[in-house]
Formats: sequence, C-alpha cells, structure tokens
Amino acid sequence: MKKSIAAVVLAVAFTLATGTVARAESKMLGTVTKIDVAADGGSAVAVMKDAKSGQTVEIHVQDKVTLDKFKDKRIAPGDEIKLKYDAKGGKNVATYFKKAAGC
Amino acid sequence: MISVRTAALAALALAPALAAAEHAGNDSIRKNGYQGPQTCEECHPGTARTFLDTVHWKHASRVDNVDNLDPRAEYGMQNRIYTFCNGNDIVNTLKEIPANELGKTKLTGCDTCHPGDGIQDVGSRGPEAEAAIDCLVCHSARYDWSKRKPYKRADGQIAIGQDRSVEAALAVGKPGVKNCMACHESAGGGTHIKRGFAFDAEHDVHAAKGMVCADCHAAKDHKIPTGFDPNNWANDGVRLSCEGCHGLKPHSDDDYDRHTARIACQTCHIPTAGGAVAKDFTHWAKDEATGFWEPSTINREVSVTKPVYAWFNGTVRNEPHLIAPKGNRKDPKSKIAPFKVYEGRAYYDAYTGKLLSMDFAQPTATGDTLAGVASAAKTLGIAKYKPVPGWQKIYFANSHLVTKSKALTCDRCHSESGQLDFDSLGYTPAEVKKRKLDSAALWFEKLHQKEMKKEEW
Repeated sequence: MKKSIAAVVLAVAFTLATGTVARAESKMLGTVTKIDVAADGGSAVAVMKDAKSGQTVEIHVQDKVTLDKFKDKRIAPGDEIKLKYDAKGGKNVATYFKKAAGC
Repeated sequence: MISVRTAALAALALAPALAAAEHAGNDSIRKNGYQGPQTCEECHPGTARTFLDTVHWKHASRVDNVDNLDPRAEYGMQNRIYTFCNGNDIVNTLKEIPANELGKTKLTGCDTCHPGDGIQDVGSRGPEAEAAIDCLVCHSARYDWSKRKPYKRADGQIAIGQDRSVEAALAVGKPGVKNCMACHESAGGGTHIKRGFAFDAEHDVHAAKGMVCADCHAAKDHKIPTGFDPNNWANDGVRLSCEGCHGLKPHSDDDYDRHTARIACQTCHIPTAGGAVAKDFTHWAKDEATGFWEPSTINREVSVTKPVYAWFNGTVRNEPHLIAPKGNRKDPKSKIAPFKVYEGRAYYDAYTGKLLSMDFAQPTATGDTLAGVASAAKTLGIAKYKPVPGWQKIYFANSHLVTKSKALTCDRCHSESGQLDFDSLGYTPAEVKKRKLDSAALWFEKLHQKEMKKEEW
C-alpha cells in the first residue's frame, strides 16, 4: 500500500515539476468554415466546425503541403476534412489535415 | 555525348528562366477574355477534338496486355469492376445521394475528377463535349479549385463547376504537380488511399529535385506515357520507364549495374508502399458524425508498408479473384519488381462467378450494400444474379516514392531477414546457399569499403 501511495506521489510530483501533462492527440471530422493564411504564407488558421459536436475550433496549420492547398483553394470553406491536432502553447496545431472525400 | 538525364537536369536548371516567359496567347486573353476551349483553339486548333480520344477524357482504352479481355473493347475507370473501386463511372456516375437518417445528402460519384462539366461526361463526343473540356484544371497554375464543385442545375441535372476566369487563363503552361495530384491523390475514396504516395520533396527524390509529374509523364498530343501496372489498364499507347532517362547502367558501381538486367529500378529505389491495404464493400461503416456510410477500409499512411516482390514482364493475370503480374525467372522479359498488394471483399454473382459492381448512392445513405448492387445491376441490364461475398487480391505497381538515399543496399536483400523472399521468386534453398544469396559472405568486403569511405571525415 505504502509503495502504491509513493508511486502516485512521485508521478504527481514529476508532472508538477515538469509542468507538462501528456495530452492525447485530438481527432476530428469537420467542415472548413474559414481559412486565414498569414501574410508571409508560412502558416494559416482554419476554422473548423466539428461534425459531431457542432462546435467551432481554430486549427493552426504549418505544413507546406496543406498551406499550398489553402492558397490555391484545393482545400476551401465547405470542404469536409479529417484532421488530427495537438494542443501546443495554447494553440491547436494540425498534425494531419486531409480532405475526407475522394472519387 | 550528353545523356538524356543530363539534358533533363539542365532543362530543370533553366526552368525558372523559361517559366518567366509569358504564354504567347496572353495578350489575346487579356483583350478578349477567356471562353473555355474555344479560346485555346485559336492558337491550338483541333486540340479539343483530339483530347476526346485520350484516356483522361474516355477513362478507358483498348488493352493488349491483360488476360481475359475483349481486344476490341475499351477498359478503364469508365467500366471496370474490381474491388478497389467497386463502382465505376457508369454505375456510380455523379449524382445526389439519397438523404441519410440525419436528413443529409451530398453530390458525389466516381467521375468527379473527369475534366468535363459533369453533363458532358466520360467518353462523350461532339462539339458540346469539346466545349465542355476544362483545359485550365490541368494547365493553369492559378486555378481556383473552390469553383470545381458539383452543383445541381435548375433542370435538376448535376454538373461540375469550372474556373474559367481570365486570371486562371493567364497562368497556363505545363501542368504542375498540384494540377495532377488534385485528382490523382484523391482516388479510391480519399487522400492517398488508392495509390498511397505523395509526390513531394519529403517522399520522392524527383520532387526534391524540383521535377513535376509531367517531366516523366511527358505527353504528346495529350497522350500521357505510363508504366506497366497490373491494375492500371487504360493507357494512351505510350509507355515510359526509369531506363528512358537513367539508362541501364546508372550506378557508378558494376555490381549494382549488373542487377538492372533482372531487377526493376523500383525494387531497390522504392522500398516502401502506402495507402489502403484492404477494403470490405459488403459491410460499410457508419460515420456517426455525418450519418454517411463508407466502405470499411484498412488504410496506411504514405510510405509505411513493405511491398511484395514478383517477376513481371508487363502482362497481367486477370481472374475474378486475382489481378497480378505475369512473369517468371526463366522469361528473359521478366524483372523482379515491387508491388503494393491489396485485398478487397465485394459481391460475386454465384451464377457466373464474376464480380458484381455497386452503385454507391444507396450504401452511402443507408449502409445497404445489396441495394447498391441491385441499382448497378439494373443500370448494366443484369436481370438475374445471386450476390455472394468474396475476396479479390490485387497487385498495384509501386512506381513512386522514389529514393536514392534510402535505396536498398546489398545487406537489405541478401540476408536471412532481407526484403526479398527468394523462395517465392523461384530460387531453391540449395541455390540460395550455394550462391550465398542470403549471406554477408556475398557482400561484406564491398560494403565495408563503402562504410570506411563514409567514415572518412
């Protein structure tokens, strides 16, 4: 029993010491409602409407392939997207952002 | 003498300068606007008509390298029935899906990538078809893809929009990667599902050098050269291969060069595959968020799966339960090549043993796959059939995701845990042992010299 309590205390202490909590990657199937590409073209914010909850979520996109698709509107408002994202520094940063539909 | 490869690289180096040269027709476009193919035809007369004869328009061609086909008929996405895309342009044409249980509907079909307007569709002919060609979707660097969406016209027909803006027309030229991949990466139900490759600097050495698809698939009269692929039947009658640019002795290493006689370049230079490995068209999965159903799919990311290796002479075994490369060790035309192997379950007709096709409208809305089979059978005029589930194995050519730095080295094949299965390729255990085909004894000295060279700082 003492060992178990000690293990829990150690785990809590480690978490507090490092100041980080391991977060699971979030997933969503949603519809793009708005895309704002930064003036320098190096990042963008896509506003997504979650198909399940109906809530809107801001997703920060940084990978070049997806940014190129935003710029020439291969991905545009109205498109259904499957995406994964991590919460980093108060932002939801996309790790996977692909159109759900194909032919 | 300058090699083809050197010339190609030199052309690439000059590309920025060439790209700066404006399309000769731009003055006319600025003055008169852009009216679709009739504008292009002012300088490229007859092009629209000949384009109607290509695979990109017909989604089919005569096929002379596949078993059990009618040599007078044409085959391709238009009409094929197989288990990666159990529908085709005929039975699963662009349409409005019936409302699902959440009351949602959508416009979709196999032919959404066809470069027409949805009304002038796959294989259509005549002046109206010529006028409907979306030249800019392939040729404009500034095409606005948000305009290329299906929509319902006032007469109820489903059409596809096009970007015919002057801005897009003023940016015409050789197709860029995005022009090709906008369609080609979305085949089979979503991004990278069918082919499982991305053509970008991270995944392909040609892309990393700034090459575009059309550098290898260099078209003449809109006929696009393609390689041999057990599962890609339609072709414009023009073929390409790695050797066309790289020759048969591309390495500065005689041992590697000796391999090219019987080993396809892709075997060592494309050691990975990606995309869907299996699908079940008899049981679709419901997405609770949207209420729509999709074929149950096991998908893998780009470049994470191991190919299967087989002898291939360019001809294809085509049977109801197997689409596979033909060839063997004794056939001098055969080489060992890598394939992405895929298995799909769909309905077969118990009366004929043939695979049945499926209209996706009903299963997308309700998950009722047999209703989709019934709709397709009605379209195809099949009155009597008995659907029974069955599996089909398909070999896809593994021709992209090309790497130089991660290409297979001697030890990657010639060891007990090597990439190749010598037994399945026709090498007896006795021969493998005698020739040390799975042993470091075959390659240690050579590789060690290379390692030493690498370690010289």
